[in-house]
Formats: sequence, structure tokens, C-alpha cells
Amino acid sequence: MKPSLSIRQLTKQFDSNLVLKGIDLEVAAGRFVVLLGPSGCGKSTLLRTIAGISDPSSGGIWLKDRRIDAMPPEQRNFGLVFQTYALFPHMSVEKNVAFGLEMRRVNKRDIAHRVAAALELVGLADYAKRLPKQLSGGQQQRVALARAIVIEPDVLLFDEPLSNLDAKLRDTLRDDLRALQQKLGVTSIYVTHDQSEAMALGDEIVVMKNGEIVERGTPIDLYRRPAYRFTAEFLGMTNVIEAKLRDRACQLPWGDVRELENPSERDVEGVAIRPEDLAIEAVETDHHGVVEQAMFMGAATHYWIRAAGKTLRAITSGGRTAILPVGQKVRLVPPPMLHLLRAHHPLQEVAA
Amino acid sequence: MSGSPRARRNQALIGFGLYAYLALTLAFPVAIVALWAFYDPAVGWFPPDIIPRSFSLSAWREVLADRNVLPAAALSLFVSVVVTVLTGSLAFPTAWALAQFPFRLKRLVEIFVLAPVIVPGIVVAVSLGEIFFRFGLAGTVLGVILVQIVGTLPFMIRILTATIEGIPRELIYAARTLGASPFVAVTRIALPLAWPGFAAGGLLTFIASFEEFEKSFMVGAPKVRTLAVQLWSYLGGEVLVLPTAAVVTLILLTPMLVIFVLAERIGKDDVMAAGLGKL
Ligand SMILES: Nc1ncnc2c1ncn2[C@@H]1O[C@H](COP(=O)(O)OP(=O)(O)OP(=O)(O)O)[C@@H](O)[C@H]1O
Ligand SMILES: [Mg+2]
Repeated sequence: MKPSLSIRQLTKQFDSNLVLKGIDLEVAAGRFVVLLGPSGCGKSTLLRTIAGISDPSSGGIWLKDRRIDAMPPEQRNFGLVFQTYALFPHMSVEKNVAFGLEMRRVNKRDIAHRVAAALELVGLADYAKRLPKQLSGGQQQRVALARAIVIEPDVLLFDEPLSNLDAKLRDTLRDDLRALQQKLGVTSIYVTHDQSEAMALGDEIVVMKNGEIVERGTPIDLYRRPAYRFTAEFLGMTNVIEAKLRDRACQLPWGDVRELENPSERDVEGVAIRPEDLAIEAVETDHHGVVEQAMFMGAATHYWIRAAGKTLRAITSGGRTAILPVGQKVRLVPPPMLHLLRAHHPLQEVAA
Repeated sequence: MSGSPRARRNQALIGFGLYAYLALTLAFPVAIVALWAFYDPAVGWFPPDIIPRSFSLSAWREVLADRNVLPAAALSLFVSVVVTVLTGSLAFPTAWALAQFPFRLKRLVEIFVLAPVIVPGIVVAVSLGEIFFRFGLAGTVLGVILVQIVGTLPFMIRILTATIEGIPRELIYAARTLGASPFVAVTRIALPLAWPGFAAGGLLTFIASFEEFEKSFMVGAPKVRTLAVQLWSYLGGEVLVLPTAAVVTLILLTPMLVIFVLAERIGKDDVMAAGLGKL
């Protein structure tokens, strides 16, 4: 079994700019953890610190029970895959993949063997002699992946490895990546700002904002029961509605009363209703709102509904029903249970 | 693509201007020099003749008859090759270190590196000649090589620094995480990727070394005479002997022409962008 990774109270400061504000993170052995957050929140910095190409300002990193934060990257045995692939342009595909093994002084015959096996694994066995510039972006990223796994790393680190690829290729490579990781069972940390990528890949998602971790959980938990409004809005679309709280229930602005999943929540910022959970019915009288815009997307239709002084999103699935026209009066049918969202308060910036 | 007539006229004007400039600074002087090198002293060349009435090889015979020319050429070749190799080897580590410095510090160090270029060559030559004499390096080939490196190093450092700064940091990081020590990462990744810098800097260094006169003369003369030093003596003390001077100029020009043809051949293979996808 691969070892687990622990990060404790990790901070990183660039000049006066505190980019990581005390990160605590446990990654269980063999898990695939996705770091998700908006641009500039410190995901790459955290990943680079784990890899050892950036030094933390304080805090520690443990691989199982071995402290590694003072170790140079070449002693950590971590595989790192970059957004820009970072293949060595002057070396052939097989030389690129062999590099890590050469550094480990593996004998020639084993190198040839393992390089061939790694290239086979990523489906590039026929491309061994090519130079990186003779490959497509997707193929280059597969080479980078082969190069990272051939050294049998303790931890695999990915920094937005798919963002330079076009949408279709991104999906195939994403699925291959997931299959490969499960096959190898290697502890992995994957950085992205794409929520669908995060949900498709992660055993667990860690949501980051401004250099701190907001919350973490399985994709299902975070999607269905996020603690914070930030998570709810970052992971997919959501309607955040201000409702009157009444004991174990709440009253929505248009009058409906619903039970609460988490009535004991304090510091509430609103209730969350996912657009796909908000049903709409066309009515002539007693309407809650009107259709402001409708967009047919094939598998689903997206609606913008003007109700209670704001615009709500609703998604109806199935291609058979008629599309409601703009201006149509509608009733809103929220789900039976609603979920309260807590406000997120960033840590006070510690003055240097 | 062609744009408005006015834009096209402007382009034509700029193109014409550039060619005129090239003709004035390159083609015209070389042509005059070539004519003088082959003129016939028995007939002479006087206005209003645009080209001499008769040609001869007498100036060439005079220069080449000198037994010192061939050994001097061989010595120059040797010195220039050694200077180029040493300059490259010394410049790379410095350039690497410079490329890692934070921006503000870098500008300061760059000024420091370029300082010798700002001081007039003759001043440097005289003072260095004095120092080299004290160290017993005067009149030695080693002395000439060392004094030339003083002049060529700044350019090489400058060019290599720019090249190294163009190498994506990720490549070095990737090498490190794969198990390369800093030294190995530099020699296996940065060094081979810096070859365009070595090529460009090497060509300039070679030319600068081959033509170098002031410092080589101050340190080497009279015992060690590179081709440049040897050929300058044909310029004839008090009076300028035009035909001989022309032959000297043409000889010194040859390696440059060869090198520029070579440089053209090397072309622009964009290795840098290749490993980084289609950014
Ligand atoms: N070398 C550096 N020097 C100074 N500031 C830096 C440096 N590297 C990163 N930063 C700053 O740290 C913050 C976090 O950067 P980081 O690259 O970790 O963000 P990110 O979450 O990966 O964003 P993205 O999704 O855009 O890649 C940014 O504000 C950035 O400006
Ligand atoms: Mg990043």
C-alpha cells in the first residue's frame, strides 16, 4: 500500500503576500484528492510545496511518519505532471520516460522494459522514438503521465494537466487518468479549477479559497450538502435564497414552507436549491414568477425565472416536454427538504 | 494582407531605406576595399575613373610573401578557438546564476558584467597590459588568450542569460522531481537547451577574438603576434598604404563571411516551444 500524506499548518509567504494561510490536509493512502478553487487561491503553490520545488514558510509535510518538507524534490519520489506537459524537448519520448529511471541508476535492460511498459499503459507504444514536438497535445500529456508513473512514485501530483487540451480530448484523457490511478492505487493530488473535472475524478474534493481550505468531502457530499455558500456556488450552479427560518422549517419568499435538513446551523446565509431540484409548472393564475429566458440544451432545458425580486435558475430534464415561452407564468416547486448554507469568514490575514 | 495603397507605399519606402543603409554600410565599403586590393600599382587608379583601369595581385603577393602570415593565421585560429571554448565554459555558470536572481538584483549585476564594454578598449588594453606584464603573462599565448576573454566574456554572459531565461522553469522542476540533483538538471536539461545561445554567442566571440587587436597587441607583442596584430603592421606606420590595407581587411573579413553563412544554415529550429504543447 502506498503511504499517506499529511500537511500540517503549512504557510507560504511571497514578500508580504500570505498565499497559504495554514493548510491542514490529510490524504489517505491510495486516495485521489482534488484541490479545487478559483484562480489565484494558492492551489499550485500548495502542490509545488508538496513536490518540493517551492519551500514552505512554516509548517510541515509528512509522508506516513517521515517528515519531508526539508527534503529536496529529487529525494521525495513524487511524480509531478504540469499543465504545460514540461517534456524535455531535446529528448525522444522514450528518453523522456527513461529519465527518472536513469536518475535512479536502474540498469539498462530494466529501463527499456519499464519504459516500454509505461508507454504501453498510456497507449503510446508506437511513439517511443518521436520527439515531443512531433506529438499532439494529448499525446504529449500522456508521455508526461508515463514519465511520472514509471518511477513508481509514492505520490502523484497533477497541476491542471488537462486545461491545455480541447474539450473532447479532455474528457477521454480524464477517464483514462482515473482508470490508471485506480489500477495503480497511487496516492494522488490533483489541482483544477474545473468543478466537473473535480467531481469526475476525485474520491474527495478539497475546496480552497484565498489560501485556505473552505471544506472537503466526497463529490456527492459537497454537491448535495455543502456547508458553505462558496462551495455550493463553486460546485455547479445553485440558487441561494433568503428564507424565513421557523424552528425546523423555513418559509420561502413565495410562501412555500419546507423542512430543513440542518436546522441547527448558525450564521446562515440562505437556503440552497439546485436548479435541477427546482421544478416549474405553467399556470394561468396564482403564479410565483415568470419565465425570463429559456435555453434548450438538448438533454435538458435551462430556465431563468423572475420570482420574489430575483432571477432563479431551473433545469428540466428530458427532451419530450414542450419548452415554456418567455413571459409564461409559472409556479415553483421546491424539493421536500431544504439545506441551509453557512457564511464563510476568511481567516484574518496575519501581519508579517 | 496588402493593405491600403498608402501602407504599401510606406512599406516600399522603409524597405528601400533599409537596403540603401545596407548598401552604404556593407556593400559599398566592401566593394571599394576589394577594388583597392586588386588594383595595379603600375597603372594606378585616379579620378575620374570609377574602377581601376587594370588589376593585379601585387598587394596580395606582398602580404602573403611575408613568412609570418601563415603562422600568424594558425596561431589566431588556435587562440580564437580556445577563447571561444573558454568563454562559453566560463560564461555558462555565471549566466545560470544570473538567470536565477530576482529581477532587481539582476539589473545591477548586469551593469557590473557590462562595465568593461563601456570603458574604451584602449584604456582597458593599456591597464591590462600592465597587469599581465607583472604576472609574467606578457608575450605569452596564454596571456593573449586570457586578455581576449576579458573582452568576450560579458557578451557571452549576456546572451546566455537571455537564452537560459527563455528555458521554461517547469523543465528544470520536472527533472528535479524525477530525481535529478540541481547540477544534473542543469547539465542534462539546461545546457543542451541553451545551444542556440552558445551558437550565437560563440560566433560573436570567435569573430571578436579573431579581429581583436588592441589587447592582443598590448599583451602579446612583440613575441606573440596574432593575424590581426600581424596584418595591422601592413597598414604601414605613418602613411596608410591603401592596397595593402585593403588586402588585410579582406582577409579579416573572410572568417566572418564564413560564419554568417554557417549561422544562416543553422536556422531557427524552435526547440523551446516544442516540449510545451501548443501554448
Ligand atoms: N513566485 C511567486 N512570487 C510571488 N507571488 C506568487 C508566486 N507564485 C504565486 N504567487 C502568488 O500566489 C498566489 C497563488 O498562486 P497560485 O499559482 O498558487 O494560484 P492557483 O490557485 O494555482 O491559480 P491558477 O488556477 O490561476 O493556477 C497568487 O496570488 C500569485 O500571484
Ligand atoms: Mg495554478
